[in-house]
Amino acid sequence: MTRSTDSLIEALAQDLAPVRPLRRWRGMAGALLGLAAGVLLLLGLFGIRSDLLAARPDPVGVVSAGVFLVLTLASAWAAIDSARPAVGARRDGWAWSLAAAAVLPLGALFLIVTGLLHGNASPLRDNGRDCITFGLFAGLFTAAILTAWLRRGAPVRLGQAGLLTGLSAGSAGIFAVSLYCPHTDMVHIGIWHGLAVTIAAVLGRLIVPPLLRW
Amino acid sequence: MTADEATLARLAALAQHGDRTAYAALLQAARDWLLRYLRRRVNPCELDDLVQETLLSLHRKLASYDPERPFLPWLAAIARYKFVDHLRLAYRRAEDELSDEILPAVDAEPAITARISLDRLFEELPPAQCRAIELVKIEGRSISEASAATGQSESLIKVNIHRGLKRLAALIEN
Repeated sequence: MTRSTDSLIEALAQDLAPVRPLRRWRGMAGALLGLAAGVLLLLGLFGIRSDLLAARPDPVGVVSAGVFLVLTLASAWAAIDSARPAVGARRDGWAWSLAAAAVLPLGALFLIVTGLLHGNASPLRDNGRDCITFGLFAGLFTAAILTAWLRRGAPVRLGQAGLLTGLSAGSAGIFAVSLYCPHTDMVHIGIWHGLAVTIAAVLGRLIVPPLLRW
Repeated sequence: MTADEATLARLAALAQHGDRTAYAALLQAARDWLLRYLRRRVNPCELDDLVQETLLSLHRKLASYDPERPFLPWLAAIARYKFVDHLRLAYRRAEDELSDEILPAVDAEPAITARISLDRLFEELPPAQCRAIELVKIEGRSISEASAATGQSESLIKVNIHRGLKRLAALIEN
């Protein structure tokens, strides 16, 4: 055994070429580039929301866009870091951002249920399909960049890496959507925008891991 | 002698810059560590193969080591991943053997198409690499069987598979 492993070691040493270590800031720059590409694409197609253009932003719109932006960055950071494995490393900052973002759909559900209890008609309208479609579409840039980054690295928890990729891509896409979407009510944002991020996370969890196996 | 963490981290950083002597020393230390780590987890007859597979993965994924972090947690994460992957493949192989016995008739067309595409790609590889991939990765023979069939040493078979797959991946991506 030792003899054949020694020959392998010798062959690998001969095969060595200099490599550039994966730096997190470089991965993060890529993720920001993906975010910017999604934003530019949707703003190019639909323009910016009128209240933002007039510098009189709607408070709910600003807060929710901020929450999705933080979720994009936190999950991208965790995905990027997972390309450099280490036993004992903790990467749970993204979970706290996700918990904060979950307030949006939970708040929307609470508003719907309490409205129904008071006999009001459901405020949920069928006006979110475009947000889901374009949000997922705009998130593809971030998804592609993060997947390429993870393929260069050595992720050891493939399911989590896929989930984080989807989460970051979906949040990036919805952040881009929130810059033009005219619906700034809590129910629309919580349900439709939240659903887009959930779908992206599930797709990431299902599609990305087989691409990362090494 | 067992190398300490700081020495291993320094050797790994030098290896990333292309220092072959440092890299050979790092791989030897990694081999010793892997033997200790995996000995309690796998059958003795599978130990060498898994150690060598893990060393090949270390080689492929050297860029994922952060020179500002300790080396051994990185090596341990790779070793654990390869160990779990080894278990998964063994489980799948056992399942496939069972399926072959139960379902002998399957649609052969996708396999034939894949075979034609592979043959074209194989034309771009040196014969030794092609033969090693064919025997181990396609026919499913063990490294030692492939070694006996080709006259190449076991480590050369592994190196040829590694280089051949790398070249095939480059051909497909380009």
